[in-house]
Amino acid sequence: MVQFNLPDNSKLTDGDYYKLESENKRIKKFKIYRWSPEDDKNPRMDTYEVDIDDCGPMVLDAVMKIKNEVDTSLTFRRSCREGICGSCAMNIDGTNTLACTKAISDVKGDIKIYPLPHMPVIKDLVTNLKNLYKQLKSIKPWLIKQKQEATDTENIQSRNDREKLDGLYECILCACCSTSCPSYWWNSDKYLGPAVLLQSYRWLQDSRDEERKERLKELDDTFKVYRCHTIMNCTQACPKGLNPAKAIAGIKQMIAQQ
Amino acid sequence: MESAKNAWKIHRLTTILLIPLIIYLFVRIIHFSGEPYQLILEELRSLWSILFILIFTVLGLIHMRVGVNEILEDYIHDESAKKVINFLISFFFILILIFVCLSMWLILIF
Repeated sequence: MVQFNLPDNSKLTDGDYYKLESENKRIKKFKIYRWSPEDDKNPRMDTYEVDIDDCGPMVLDAVMKIKNEVDTSLTFRRSCREGICGSCAMNIDGTNTLACTKAISDVKGDIKIYPLPHMPVIKDLVTNLKNLYKQLKSIKPWLIKQKQEATDTENIQSRNDREKLDGLYECILCACCSTSCPSYWWNSDKYLGPAVLLQSYRWLQDSRDEERKERLKELDDTFKVYRCHTIMNCTQACPKGLNPAKAIAGIKQMIAQQ
Repeated sequence: MESAKNAWKIHRLTTILLIPLIIYLFVRIIHFSGEPYQLILEELRSLWSILFILIFTVLGLIHMRVGVNEILEDYIHDESAKKVINFLISFFFILILIFVCLSMWLILIF
């Protein structure tokens, strides 16, 4: 049976409160999930007051400000700070999104930040995405040609065929979609999840790829694709505005037509 | 065991077939509400009604069976528990089918 309750050592406790000595009235409270593997303590929610007039407009700006000026032990991933790398994916105000593209002004009241849901936490806001990358590798996310010589020349593609990849190639693999999917929460060991299936569909749609039949055969499994019940959380969560649910429906259609 | 593709197809197909049947069922229930008991009994004895009930029951049970199996796959991870529950559900569905057939037979003979 799947586990619906949190184990005792995962239950959240109240953490430290970092008050800001400032006369500015535009102060925002950031409640951030904290957990370290270095001690036996339960995870806690630390509260940080941030002067938003003295901070960049995005949630990532505030989190970086907290790390730089208040608490250097706060751990999170970030890189491009412009929605391209997908590193700063986290759960902000109840939604999986990228901290670098989520504006502070979009959140009313205190801003609660958690790591991506239902993923093993390495530390604070950093989750272990090993399983996701393993699943990505399993769908062979690269162009496969039958003849070796075909790889030595340019692979021509018509404009129409290229357009079929729109809405698919833009995925940055931030895992916001997969970690918002209840089916992925319960069966992440076997169900590939929206992010990987979107990637899979990207290669199934590529006119230059010659492995479509084999790819579809691999996907015709009780768990890999068919755990998707069109809940649509993935589409709602995607910070790039993509539609993984539609891609999964496309895969099911392709398998059915095979 | 049926492939995932076939289970998915069967689930969709039975859904599509059941939609008009359910609408028809509701229309008939509304049409016959308040009518004398004898008239309803006569209607149930007609060949069309017997066929309808049989098709509706069989399609409904197939749809439920595939649907329940999906829920089991989602939430029950223990293989032996899954087998026991699957057996109980199949047994329960056969009971429903027997009960429906028995009810129809009783309507026909009385």
